[in-house]
Amino acid sequence: MTAPAQRVVSLLPSFTELLFAIGAGDRLVGRTAWCDYPPEALRVPSVGDGMPPNVEAVAARHPDLVVLYRSGPNITAAEQLERLGIKTVLLDLNRLEDLGPAARRLGVLTGRVASADSLAGAMDSLASQPAAPGSQSLVFIVWDNPAIVIGAGSYLDRLAALSGARNVFHDIGSPSAQVSIETIAARDPDFVAVLSDSAVPPRYAGRPEWRAVRAVRARRFLFLPGQLFGRPGPRVAEAVRELRRRLDRAP
Amino acid sequence: MKYVLLAVAAVATLAAAVLLGPADVPLRDVLGSPIVWQLRLPRAVLAFLVGGALGVSGVALQALVRNPLADPFLLGLSGGAGLGAVVAIAFDLPGPWALPLAAFVGAVSAMALVYRLGLIGGAELDPRILLLGGVAVGAFAAAITTAIVSLAEATELRNAFLWLWGGFSGASWTTVLVILVYAPLPLAVLAAAARPLDLLALGEEPAQYLGADVRRLKRLVYLAASLLTAAAVAVAGVIGFVGLIVPHLCRLVWGRLHRALFPTAFLVGGTLLAAADTLARTVVAPRELPVGIVTALLGVPVFAFLLRRWTVS
Repeated sequence: MTAPAQRVVSLLPSFTELLFAIGAGDRLVGRTAWCDYPPEALRVPSVGDGMPPNVEAVAARHPDLVVLYRSGPNITAAEQLERLGIKTVLLDLNRLEDLGPAARRLGVLTGRVASADSLAGAMDSLASQPAAPGSQSLVFIVWDNPAIVIGAGSYLDRLAALSGARNVFHDIGSPSAQVSIETIAARDPDFVAVLSDSAVPPRYAGRPEWRAVRAVRARRFLFLPGQLFGRPGPRVAEAVRELRRRLDRAP
Repeated sequence: MKYVLLAVAAVATLAAAVLLGPADVPLRDVLGSPIVWQLRLPRAVLAFLVGGALGVSGVALQALVRNPLADPFLLGLSGGAGLGAVVAIAFDLPGPWALPLAAFVGAVSAMALVYRLGLIGGAELDPRILLLGGVAVGAFAAAITTAIVSLAEATELRNAFLWLWGGFSGASWTTVLVILVYAPLPLAVLAAAARPLDLLALGEEPAQYLGADVRRLKRLVYLAASLLTAAAVAVAGVIGFVGLIVPHLCRLVWGRLHRALFPTAFLVGGTLLAAADTLARTVVAPRELPVGIVTALLGVPVFAFLLRRWTVS
């Protein structure tokens, strides 16, 4: 058992949020440009956008632990950091089920086991809940040309189910996929969910080909702020309630 | 007979494109279905027109640079279009047409630059200078594009590349209209150049002796073919291999006279791309493949076969 890490660099907004949530926020000495929650995180120096990580900028913070999301470029960066003698941890974080284990792991690494376990317990029980009853359906459209939608491999799919709305592309296993507008029209979702901080209908809403989709025609958009919905994190229960509230409020 | 077969293939492909799709449209409802009218039909027509434009542009450019490996995108156009698209997203240019328009402007700027390079020191659009200039301008544009992508803080930029990879997701009657209004002029210029292009195949000097105004011919053909390709980029992104394969296929079947090559390249290109898009929409449903991947998967084996025939004979 090694000593708890004292100088941590987090290279994913979700990890930054988790570290603050388990009370290890004061150990953070580096974050990405995208880590904007909680507000205290903004006081931690940024090491860039992290895509891919700037290894030198990370090393310059003299961390004793770097937490990275498991992806090709990050694995390379982690190897480079290890060669510099800096301990790294690669964690998966695509689905809601990944949140609990990630929180526990961060708790062990920073010596905040008790609070990490209670947070992880809450998130595990949320992740194992059955889908909430409801007859509404939605599609998450991440990009319009070509149309890219969210599939079952993303936490957003589960988040929708817990809020009582069915993702019409639940049958696609990957986190996101290119589909044709015709497929979206045929599956006829009640709502189009858009990750956006403003409530301005997306540009494509005015284009003729998108009018074949009923929810676009009727302007049934759900605008989900990126800070809360753009990534899985400790506030996922809040995200579920917020989505439920928006579904109830919709005409 | 060959023409009849081609016409039948074109009509059959368009029919298949309209009848097949992920949404269930019963045969008797086809004429009244909004899915067919608003999505499938404009998409099939657009794919056909873009394929035709790329086929014709490929024939013209291969004749111009007298190089069988020339592709409409070789002369820097794809690099310029990519730069335009990324600029539109990075600077958040407003309006639904910002991205295609910026890609068009980028492609035309790259073309103008290569054109200017092709005239330096009285080079008079020497094919070698054009090809080298095209590669250089394309690489330069790609470098600026990559710099913007790595420096700008917009995750959407990744999606600019998806768009660039080509596809007909954004097809509507409006985009069909854009091509229909735009394409006839460059197509007419190229059709009028059919006979002089036959002469150019003999070499620039013999063509000159036989009465072709080679200087004017090369400039007109270059501009018309490039503008045609730039329009294709604006509505469908960069779709490879159609402009490369179709001219070869057509020369194999219809010979070397441009009077026959231009119309057949239009029909073969259109048929091929409409078929490729139908496959892209249907084979992995509910997902969709970028159409450029389908054209490459179909095109490369055909090309390898052609290369073999070509080197054997």
